[in-house]
Amino acid sequence: MTRKLLTGNGAAAWGARLSASDYIPAFPITPQTEIIETLAGWIDNSDLDARLVTLESEHSMITAAAAAASTGVRVFSATSSQGLLYGMEMLYTVAGWRSPFVLVNVSRGLASPITLGPDHNDIMAARDSGFLQIHCATCQEVLDSTLIAFRLAEHTRVRLPVIVNLDGFYLSFTREPVDIPDSKLARQYVGDYDAENIRFRASAPLSQAVAVLGGSPYSYFRYESHLAAQDSLEIYHEVTEEFNQLFGRQYDAIDCYRSDDADYVFVMMGSFATKAKEAVDQLRDTGFAIGLLRPRLMRPFPAQIFQQLLACKKGVAVIDQNLSMGMGGVLHSELAASLYGQAHAPPLLMSYIGGLGGRDISSEEFFEIASELRLSAEQGKTPPPRLLYTKTELREVRKLQAVAHVERQDLDEGNTHE
Amino acid sequence: MSELTYRRMKDLPSTHLLGTGTPMCAGCGGLNALHQIYDIIGEKSIFINAAGCMTLLSVYPFTPFRGSWLYTAMASAPAGAQGVRDALDVLLQKNRMSMQDDMQVVVLTGDGAAYGMGLSATSGAMERDLDFMYICYDNEGYGNTGQQYSGATPHAAMTATSRGPRGFPGFKKDLFSIWSAHKPAYVATVIGTEPLDLARKIEKARSLKGPRMIIALSPCPTGWDYDPQDSVTVGKLAVRTGVWPLKEYVDGKVVHTKVPHPRKPVEEYLKLQGRFSHLFEPQRDDALINEIQAKVGAYWEDVDS
Amino acid sequence: MYRIRFHGRGGQGMKTASRILGTAFFLQGYEVQDAPRYGAERRGAPIFAYVRASKDPINERGIISQPDLVIVADDSLVPVPGAGVISGIDAHTVLLINSDEDPDTWKQRLNFNGSLFTLPVETEARAELRFIGATCTGAAARLLGVISRDALTQAIRQELAELGDAIVEENLSRALSAFGLMEAHAGTVNAGSVVSAHDYQRPQWVDLPFDQARISAPAIHAAATSIAVKTGLWRTMRPLIDYEHCNRCWWVCSTFCPDGAINVDDEGYPHIDYDHCKGCMVCVAQCPPHAIASIPEQDAQAADNEEARA
Repeated sequence: MTRKLLTGNGAAAWGARLSASDYIPAFPITPQTEIIETLAGWIDNSDLDARLVTLESEHSMITAAAAAASTGVRVFSATSSQGLLYGMEMLYTVAGWRSPFVLVNVSRGLASPITLGPDHNDIMAARDSGFLQIHCATCQEVLDSTLIAFRLAEHTRVRLPVIVNLDGFYLSFTREPVDIPDSKLARQYVGDYDAENIRFRASAPLSQAVAVLGGSPYSYFRYESHLAAQDSLEIYHEVTEEFNQLFGRQYDAIDCYRSDDADYVFVMMGSFATKAKEAVDQLRDTGFAIGLLRPRLMRPFPAQIFQQLLACKKGVAVIDQNLSMGMGGVLHSELAASLYGQAHAPPLLMSYIGGLGGRDISSEEFFEIASELRLSAEQGKTPPPRLLYTKTELREVRKLQAVAHVERQDLDEGNTHE
Repeated sequence: MSELTYRRMKDLPSTHLLGTGTPMCAGCGGLNALHQIYDIIGEKSIFINAAGCMTLLSVYPFTPFRGSWLYTAMASAPAGAQGVRDALDVLLQKNRMSMQDDMQVVVLTGDGAAYGMGLSATSGAMERDLDFMYICYDNEGYGNTGQQYSGATPHAAMTATSRGPRGFPGFKKDLFSIWSAHKPAYVATVIGTEPLDLARKIEKARSLKGPRMIIALSPCPTGWDYDPQDSVTVGKLAVRTGVWPLKEYVDGKVVHTKVPHPRKPVEEYLKLQGRFSHLFEPQRDDALINEIQAKVGAYWEDVDS
Repeated sequence: MYRIRFHGRGGQGMKTASRILGTAFFLQGYEVQDAPRYGAERRGAPIFAYVRASKDPINERGIISQPDLVIVADDSLVPVPGAGVISGIDAHTVLLINSDEDPDTWKQRLNFNGSLFTLPVETEARAELRFIGATCTGAAARLLGVISRDALTQAIRQELAELGDAIVEENLSRALSAFGLMEAHAGTVNAGSVVSAHDYQRPQWVDLPFDQARISAPAIHAAATSIAVKTGLWRTMRPLIDYEHCNRCWWVCSTFCPDGAINVDDEGYPHIDYDHCKGCMVCVAQCPPHAIASIPEQDAQAADNEEARA
C-alpha cells in the first residue's frame, strides 16, 4: 500500500487499474477526461493490460461497454453530465441486459444554461435506469468504491451495472492523500468476472436483450431487475464488510456522523457532505445536538436504514444538490417517501436546495439551516423549501442582466419582488 | 478461394439455416436476403441489431438464429459490434477463450438506422477499422412504423409522410458512396432476387477482415404496396431497370457486378408498386416518370464513361 | 354498454371495420371507444379490434374480456389458440362468423348454446377478403339493432372516403346487403353490465419471487426456437407443388421463399413446410415450369380432412 496525493479522477483511474479492467470504451468530456487520459497512458506504458477504444459518442460508448460485458470481459468506463444524458437511452437499455460493468460519473450541472460547475442533476436523471449508484465524498472513497462496485455489479445475485459518482472539480480535480491498495490484494478482493450463462460464445448460441410483447412478460423482466437492485443492498453489506477486513476502511450504505445521539440531522450526499461534517462539529461546540447522514447508496435506496437511523429525531434538513423542476429536491422526496407512516419518523423534514452548478455552501449557511431547523421544530411548522441564495448573489446577477441588456423596467419590477 | 464456391446456381445452398416462424411479413424481401446471407455467414456469428422491422425476429422466447443475437437501440448497433468484437479479441489475446468460440460479428439494421440515426456510429466503426460485417436491409422507409420516408426513400415515392401528388420530394441518399468514402475493406450492394451475385459477395465479405458493408435492397410488399407474390419480380426489375445497381467497392475501386443490358424502362418497375401509382393514375405523369428515368440513365452513363 | 370484438387477420381491415362501427354508433348518439390491437405480427397474422358504445360516458379501457358480440371475419382463425376468438364468450355473447358452414355446425364445434350467425363467404373474395370488414360491420350493425341504415351508410362514407368513390360504393353495397340479411335478428345483441364490486372474483396475486439474472434476464439460451411458431396459420392461400411438372431446377422456390420454408430433398425435389409457409406465393410466381399451384387454404384443408377421413 502506498499513500499519495491523487485527484478524484486519478483515484477513479486507479480503481479501474486495480480491478484489472479488460476493456475501457471512452469518450472525452469535462471534467472526466483525465480519467481516460490516465488510463490511456498506463496502457501505452504497459502498466495496464487493457484495451481502450474511443467511441464517437457516449451513446455508443455505453452500448460498447455493455456489449463487451455481455461477452464476458471486465469493463470500466467514465463520463459526465451531458455525456451521461446523451447515453441515457442506453443506460436504461443495458441495465435490462443484466450486463455488469462500472461507469464512473463525474457530476456536473446540466444545460441549459450549459455550465461546467458540479451538481447532481445528471446522476439523478439516471436514478430510475436500473444502474446501482454509489456516491463518494472523498478521493479515497472514489478509488475504494470502484473496487467495491465491480464486486457488486458482477455478483451472481446482482448482475446490474453500477455508477460510481464523484463531484466535478470538488473531487475530480482536487488532490487528496489516497491509500492505494496493494495490487495483488486488490485483485484478490475483486476476483475474476464469471459471466455464467449470459455471454456470447460460438459454442453456446444466445440471444440477449430480445423484445417482448405484452405487459406480463415485460412486467416480469422489469420487476426482476428491481428485485435484484433491492437485493443488492445485502450484497453491498457483504462486499463492503469484506473490503473492511482486507483494507481497514468501512463503507456503510449510509455514512453516519455524530448522528447516534443527535436530535437533529443534516442529510446530504456527495463531496459537500464533508462541509456538513465540519458544520456539525462547530454546532456541537455550541451545544447543539446535530449529526449528519450521508447516503453512499442512492440505488438501492437504503430506506429501512434511514427509518432506523432517523427514528425519534426531532428534525431533519435535507440539502439537495439537484432540482426536480416543479417538485424540488429529489433526495428530500425519496426520504419523505421512506419515512411516511413510520411509527417514529421525525415530525420535521425540511428541504434546502444548494450547490447548484457548483455554487458554494458556506459554513454559515449550514449553521443557519440548523437554526431554522430548531426554530421550526419548536414551532411545530415545516417551512417551505428554500434555495440557498443570498442578496449579494442576486445583486450580482442583476448586474449581469444589465450588461445583457435585459429591459431596465423588467429588472426594476423583478427587484420589487425581493 | 471464396469466389469459386458459388459459380452457378446449383452451388447455392438448398437447405437453410435461419429458423422459420418469424413474424416478418409474408413476401418480405429483407427476410429473403437475410436467409440467403445467413446460409453463407453461418451459425458461428452474432447479429447485433438496431431498432427496425427485424428487431422482431427475436421476440422472447423465440429466435430464428442458430448463433447469437443482441438487440441494442436504433443508433448504436455498430457500437455494440465494437464492444463484442473487442471483447472477443481481448478474450482470445488473454487466452480466456478458445478460437473455436470466436464468431463473425454482424450488424443488422434497416435503412432508417443505416442511412440516418446510426450513420455516425457506423462511420465511427469504419474509421476504427472494426472487423465486422454490416447488413442493411433497405426497404426505403421507416417500415416498422408504417413506412414513413427515410433517407433511403426514392424520389416521388408515396409514403405515410409524403402523400402529396408528387410523393417524396427528396432523393435517395447514396449510402454506398458515403460508406466507400471511409475506405473500408468492402462495400457491396446486393438483393435477394439475385442470389448468385449475393452469395459471391457475402462469401467475399466473409473472407475479408475489417469493415465489410452490405446494402440489401429489400422489396417490401407492405411498405411499397404490391402483392406479396410479386416480391421477387419487383426485385428483379429493380436490377434490370438499373434502379438498383449491383456493385462492389474493394481496394479503392468500384466494380459493377451485373450491368443490365439493355436496361428496361423504369416504369416497368414503378408501375408494379402502389407507392408509385400516382405516376400512372388517374393521369400518367410523364414528366415525373421521365425525370426518374433520366436519373437512372445519367447514373449508368457515368458508369460507362 | 355494448362490448364488441372483431377478429381477423392483418390486412383484412379489422381496424377499419371497428372504426366504421364506432362511427355508426357515434352518429347514432352513443359515446364510443374503438381501437385495434396488434403485436409484432404482420399481414395474415391474427389481430383484433374492439368497440365499446354506451349512452353514458365510458370509463372502461383496454381489452374486452367479456364481449357481447364477437365478429369473426375469417373463420380459419377460430381454432387458432393465439387468436383468442372464443376467449370470454358465454351464453350471453352473440357470435357472428364469416363462414360457409352453417350455424349449427359451429355451435356444435364450439359447444356453444347462445346465438350464432354465419355470413356466407363470396368465393371470389375468399383469398383477399377485401370487403369483409364492411360486410361484417353491416351484419353487426343489424344484430345490435340500434344502428340505422343511414348511420351505417354515413359511417362507411366517412371512414372509407380516402379510398375513392368506386371502393366506397362496393363496400357500401356489401355492407347494406349484410345489414338486410340480418333483418330477422335485429336487436339480438344485448348490452352487457359492468363488473360489480359486490361479488367479484378476487385476483390471485403472487409476490413475484426473486430470480437470479441467469434465469430472469431477457435472453434465449437456445437456437432457432422460432420454429415453434406456426406461421402457417397466417396463410389464406396455399402453394401446392405438382411434382409431375417440377423439373428439379436450382431450387428457385427454396431460395426465393423469404421464410426458408421450402426444403429440397436429396433427389432435388422441394417440399413446402406448411407449418411455416405464410402463403406469400412468391414460389408460385417464380417457379420456372409453373409447377406450383395456388389454392384457397380452406379448400386445401377441407381436402386434407377428406383424405384423413378416407
